[in-house]
Amino acid sequence: MFTSLKRIFKFGWQGFLRHKGLSSQVIFIMTVAVLVVISLFLFQGLSEFLIAEAQKKVDISVYFKKDTSENNILEVKQGLYKFSTAIEDIRYVSRVQAQEIFLQKHQDDPLYLQALEEVGENPFLASLNIRTKDPVFYAQISDYLVEGPFKNLVEKVSYYQNRKVIVRLFSIINNVKTAGIILSLILGILVILITFNTVKLTIFTSKDEISTMRLVGATNWFIRGPFLVQSIIYGILAVGIASLIFFASLNFLNSRLQTWLLDFNFLTFFQENFLSLLLIQFVFALGLGITSFLLAVRKYLKV
Amino acid sequence: MILFRTVTKIYHSSRKPIVALQDVSFQVQKGEFVSIAGTSGAGKTTLIRLLIGEEKPTRGEVFFERKSIHRNQKDLQKLRRKIGVVHQDYKLLSLKTVAENVAYVMQVIGASDRDIQRDVPQILDIVGLTERAANFPEELSGGEKQRLAIARALCHRPEVIVADEPTGNLDLYNTFEIVNLFKKIHRLGTTIILATHNKEVIIGLDRRVITLEEGKLIRDDPQGKFIL
Ligand SMILES: Nc1ncnc2c1ncn2[C@@H]1O[C@H](COP(=O)(O)OP(=O)(O)OP(=O)(O)O)[C@@H](O)[C@H]1O
Ligand SMILES: [Mg+2]
Repeated sequence: MFTSLKRIFKFGWQGFLRHKGLSSQVIFIMTVAVLVVISLFLFQGLSEFLIAEAQKKVDISVYFKKDTSENNILEVKQGLYKFSTAIEDIRYVSRVQAQEIFLQKHQDDPLYLQALEEVGENPFLASLNIRTKDPVFYAQISDYLVEGPFKNLVEKVSYYQNRKVIVRLFSIINNVKTAGIILSLILGILVILITFNTVKLTIFTSKDEISTMRLVGATNWFIRGPFLVQSIIYGILAVGIASLIFFASLNFLNSRLQTWLLDFNFLTFFQENFLSLLLIQFVFALGLGITSFLLAVRKYLKV
Repeated sequence: MILFRTVTKIYHSSRKPIVALQDVSFQVQKGEFVSIAGTSGAGKTTLIRLLIGEEKPTRGEVFFERKSIHRNQKDLQKLRRKIGVVHQDYKLLSLKTVAENVAYVMQVIGASDRDIQRDVPQILDIVGLTERAANFPEELSGGEKQRLAIARALCHRPEVIVADEPTGNLDLYNTFEIVNLFKKIHRLGTTIILATHNKEVIIGLDRRVITLEEGKLIRDDPQGKFIL
């Protein structure tokens, strides 16, 4: 048993070394397959990041009538929390704070400051800034504010003004998500098929060897084993090469991409998810390699 | 030990079906030395393919040690390990060296590394391939390939040796040597089945001869007659 295992490993290693041309073909195609998988993983991370960013940027603001007391506003805040579990957080901005924010933002802008002075009193309204866990709740919340028990206090709800844009934005995000999934599926199937075919061709050149091995009485595992060992070697090499290529190109491109993509840091993402990414790569590469080899060899074991 | 019972083999080729063997029945006892004679295309190779389960008979059955070869797929590999075959087209392992080709058969039967290291050089010496031990099959001449195929069939000391035209590519001297080698192995108790159309070889052996013609068994002589 142990001797057989030892021999299988030796044959596998030998086959890998002696089949150089074919080995490099298989390694190449499997590296590409692994690269595709890493890219899909990164794409997934990126789209999640971008969606989260977009969601952060969208919120509802309720502006209260000038004479609403702070107590009333805080009551609304409590009411909202009770109303929905979907609320992430609510930030209260008083009239004074609103003015301060404005002043700070335009402190170098004499025109605005002058305009403010001309108005005389503080023209800003107190508001609540509401963020929900999922944008689908915005409509509900804004309806509640406009028509619910507090409707007499509310001056306006920003969601009504931006509704079209928000709805559009989220439908775009959803479409991008679906397109990403479909594209990943197609790409994934493509690389799997190409790898299968490459391996099939590789094994085809060994078909006489395999039938000869059968004819001298070798068991199927004694024949398959070395190919299994080879596919594991190919898988490990493919993962290694792909990771290297990825790491190098990310190091090179990261700063350039980051400015485009709302500060998404590929390198950090790559490093943070290194272990799970590595696991995914290995499971994918080894799974793909081993199944394609076993399937390809099986055909010639019938002798 | 070996029994063919009304075996018919029809190949379904691209054009019309070819009857390679028709109702062939015979028996080989343990320790016999049997030659299978017949002109080219008579069905010798087909008969050997059926014996090692490389092909299935269209009708009839083949037995080895009372077991039907084609009904026991599970035992087939065990059975093959008991038969050393010199194939007419050699069937060498092209990615392995000469020594590794021989060693592989011993590895398949689970021989220890020590036995392999001891036996392989010995057997290569017997067939005169010591100098070529580290070469690959494609670097060998026709006769060298044939001698390697013979070495591979002998090395694990199988109960039966089946040789399909094992001297077809050898000169007179080498043919004589190989036939003598077979005789020696036979004296040590191995059953030998030798398919050939070489008249001299068969007459020189002076043993049982089964003669095939167009797929039919036409003669089964106890001693060395070669009539075509
Ligand atoms: N795979 C095959 N498909 C179709 N016909 C075949 C096949 N193998 C052999 N035959 C035919 O079966 C017949 C017997 O062939 P076989 O190889 O058994 O002859 P043989 O006695 O070994 O001849 P030789 O002395 O030339 O080796 C021949 O007519 C051959 O054409
Ligand atoms: Mg033949």
